[in-house]
Amino acid sequence: MALAVAERVSFTYPGAAEPALRDVSVRLSPGQVTLILGRSGSGKSTLLRAFAGLIPHFHGGRFSGHVDVAGLDTRRHGPPGLAGTVAMLFQDPEDQVVFTRVLNEVAFGLENVGTPPRAIEARATSALAAVGAEHLADRLVAELSGGELQRVCVAATLALEPRLLLLDEPTSQLDPEAAEALVELAVGLARERGTAVMLSEQRPALPLELCDRVLFLEDGCLAFDGPVAEARIWLEERHPVFVSAGGDGGVRLNPEGDVVVRMDEVSFAYEDQLLVLDGVGLEVRRGEVVALVGPNGSGKTTLAKLAAGLLEPQSGNVDRVGRATYLSQDPGRYVFRERADEEVAVGVGGDLAVAGRALAAVGLAGYEHRHPRDLSSGERERLGLAAVLAPDPDLLVLDEPTRGVDPQRKHELARLLGDEPKRATLVVTHDLAFASQVADRVVSLAPERELVGV
Amino acid sequence: MRPVPAAVLLFGLAAAALLAAHTVSVAVLAAVLLAVCLRAPGKRRWPYLVGALGSAAVLFVVTPFVEQLPGVVYWSGPTIPVVGTLDVTSTELSGALFNACRLAAVSLAFAAYALWLDHDRLVQAAGFARRSVLAVALATRLVPALERDAAGLVEALRGRGVEPEGLRGRARLVSPLLAGSLERSLNLAEAMEARGFGRPGATRMVQPPWGPLDRLAVAGAVLAIVAGALWL
Repeated sequence: MALAVAERVSFTYPGAAEPALRDVSVRLSPGQVTLILGRSGSGKSTLLRAFAGLIPHFHGGRFSGHVDVAGLDTRRHGPPGLAGTVAMLFQDPEDQVVFTRVLNEVAFGLENVGTPPRAIEARATSALAAVGAEHLADRLVAELSGGELQRVCVAATLALEPRLLLLDEPTSQLDPEAAEALVELAVGLARERGTAVMLSEQRPALPLELCDRVLFLEDGCLAFDGPVAEARIWLEERHPVFVSAGGDGGVRLNPEGDVVVRMDEVSFAYEDQLLVLDGVGLEVRRGEVVALVGPNGSGKTTLAKLAAGLLEPQSGNVDRVGRATYLSQDPGRYVFRERADEEVAVGVGGDLAVAGRALAAVGLAGYEHRHPRDLSSGERERLGLAAVLAPDPDLLVLDEPTRGVDPQRKHELARLLGDEPKRATLVVTHDLAFASQVADRVVSLAPERELVGV
Repeated sequence: MRPVPAAVLLFGLAAAALLAAHTVSVAVLAAVLLAVCLRAPGKRRWPYLVGALGSAAVLFVVTPFVEQLPGVVYWSGPTIPVVGTLDVTSTELSGALFNACRLAAVSLAFAAYALWLDHDRLVQAAGFARRSVLAVALATRLVPALERDAAGLVEALRGRGVEPEGLRGRARLVSPLLAGSLERSLNLAEAMEARGFGRPGATRMVQPPWGPLDRLAVAGAVLAIVAGALWL
């Protein structure tokens, strides 16, 4: 018997011209792990929100069809009423934190659903332990790394012991090991407790190994719904990049190019005195794409900022030739203008023609007049990329450029980055498939903060 | 000390500063609160100190020009329609100093509350009006959140090769900062609803009982208010 049912659900966001979901019907069974795939803006997050009751209750808009979770019709029971039965983890962990201390954050949902006071702390601690974060219980949320924060948010979701667990790109900020642990945890919940798990992913390789069933959304329509084995065949035929393991993205090694940035014996510590980098060396040549990988907290972002000149090392030398641009993690958060082309033109003295070409290069031609905040997270990511490509830099530094970006766009991004022989490119990423696809060299920054493979 | 008695004590000191009649008393209260704030980490305390002391300084400078009180005239300027003759007298100066100290004391009490108190525990200790207390706690956290966002905006600009220079360059960040803040608040509201916020029958994690220091703080707050009204 199905735990949750969506029948002929269509939904249009307020002010949107096109529906985000069109006549979608899905049944979710207890103990089943369902993976939702699709390109950016295809309706994956919207479908998850429909099962959480956030659509239509929180977002408004035009809704038709009906969603039923554990006998509760979401049209009559809003998100607070469904909480506990349903739990949802959102894409951006920074935007879902309510409290300042980790334990209190995890306890928040338990308090809201009326858990007996004496049981709250034990359940919150147990949920933290389940994600390997019990040592963070007394830490301030603001002090956590992105990966640690993601684990805390997962714990806050698990603490509710929901019957339906909705995970919206839960591994986007996690290194491969942590991502694997999280997906295995979700699968374990399904197998041991009978929780129905539904997750959307832009790094589908691992979930495809472990899930039971795959949904594929195209322009809000359910294009495929079936078991994994059938899904693999269907994806191979229709969307091969979703089952590709990375590999050659058309990039050619260019070891003969001159050195654009060279870092020798570089050390860096933030104000808290923790030594993030200690005697690290790295060079990137013109025409070369270098991927910097490593676990959460290993200092990848710090090294990238040092390369781009946004930070100065405490010791050691950074020699750079020409102009460097840097795309931060989650660039969609930092928007300056009210039109996409003006946003991109910020770095080129307002030259809208250059901005238009940069937008076209990242697949956003025709978006010139759109408000950046109206774009989807993947589109915003590409807008940020256009903004740092527009100045035609000698050194391009990208920090997690594939967060929220679908496999098709990743493939296009890999081609775009490898297409410029005059530029040196340094890419920080957790996405090993993308790293192998885009990079001439993959450099791993180990936890002990030494470069181990060049 | 637990956060509720600490908040009550800070409220008592702020109330005493508002009730006191002598500049010296108010200045001493402001100095005590300033000392408390100065013990907070430097990176966190500066926005609060700049806000509190800056607004007090502005009040001190502006008040003599907009008040018309008799006294020894230290400076006399032009006559402006509606406002009248601009001058600075001894009475206006002492009044300005008194009000500036009051404003500084109240602002510093809030700064100490924002810098030192565990807002989580304050919310969890709230036996009633939990939603309002949570709203206040979230609003208090807005300052550091805006500070982080501002740093992110500056970094995003520098990443594109643009250095935001001068007051004008920084002022251009205000609009995107506010827009980003609104967007963040919507996302947070959605996440809170999804976690059951607003559902009837909410409970609270068990809180440890008050100790002697907590009771002393509440007594101190009452004493400060009485002293402010009667003797200071």
